[in-house]
Amino acid sequence: MATPKELSDFLAAVERRAFKQTAYAVRDDHAALDIVQDAMMKLAEKYGDHPAGEFPMLFQRILQNTMRDFWRRQKVRNLWTTLLSSFGGNDAEGEDRDPLETIDVEDDSDEPSAQLARSQTIQLIERALEKLPARQREAFVLRYWEEMDVAETAEIMGCSDGSVKTHCSRAVHALAIELKKQGLDKLGLSNAIFSK
Amino acid sequence: MNMHKDNMKNEKNINLMDDNAASNLMVEEQIARNIVELLNNRTQHLSMAEEQRLSVARNLAVNRLAGLQAQAAGDGGINQGGHVLSWFGRHVGQYFEQHRVMSAALVVIAMLLTFFAVQQFGFNNNLENSDAFLLASDLPPEAYADKGFVAWLDTN
Repeated sequence: MATPKELSDFLAAVERRAFKQTAYAVRDDHAALDIVQDAMMKLAEKYGDHPAGEFPMLFQRILQNTMRDFWRRQKVRNLWTTLLSSFGGNDAEGEDRDPLETIDVEDDSDEPSAQLARSQTIQLIERALEKLPARQREAFVLRYWEEMDVAETAEIMGCSDGSVKTHCSRAVHALAIELKKQGLDKLGLSNAIFSK
Repeated sequence: MNMHKDNMKNEKNINLMDDNAASNLMVEEQIARNIVELLNNRTQHLSMAEEQRLSVARNLAVNRLAGLQAQAAGDGGINQGGHVLSWFGRHVGQYFEQHRVMSAALVVIAMLLTFFAVQQFGFNNNLENSDAFLLASDLPPEAYADKGFVAWLDTN
């Protein structure tokens, strides 16, 4: 059984990453903070009697499920909004957007690309991450950011190892392509990825 | 001889493809590492409000765990789930703790069954007493069903 100190240490170590990951997924900082808090409470209430070593996997699974719950609620709310606005005759274009579906790549040609400072690069990466399809982003975050192996990532995502590899590969390609638009050499990345 | 050469060529091609795949994988991982390094850097620069909110959330979770553990310790190890049904085992207790509606429904059903059982027992008991009274009486049982006899008893 984990002690409160072990839980506190674990949460302190992951809370910032969890918040940013959630914010990229739901695109709303306040909602992301709520989701992270919900996930923390669920971990303490339901899995507090588990050893601290199991916390990373459990927390990630809870976090991903809480995000999915949020999207489902959003979807239902958007449906009602669309229905009501259609009665009112308002233009509700874009409100029925399903975050679970593939997100289209938008044109970022208005971004400054001549001198890409570090903070701007991070912003670009954040935006590129937000644009990724949900499953690709989930795979990338778990596999590379949370440093989980393929099997662990597959278990959390509920898919096969092969799917995880595919999602990860596509995510990295999409991110790399998005970054290349803004000057890849600033990141010190190889161009070999584009020669495939 | 030609077949042997073809085989060698195929093997070389396969090796080249494997090398390419491994090389691509390495490049992908390198890109991912660089991106993650930047993202990690970003997480160190949250706003004060965000940091405070995360800290509050963490403290709430830790206090919740501490409260649950204190409650479990206070129950003396017998009632770890904080529920009477934990006497049937820890997992049973946890089940009923997590499914409060089901627990409440079970308690109501048990109360109703007890009520009906008591009612039934009381009804049977009354029947037995009536039968015993009639059999032990000086008058035959038909006399009590005779309205004329009851009227005669009242007038006398």
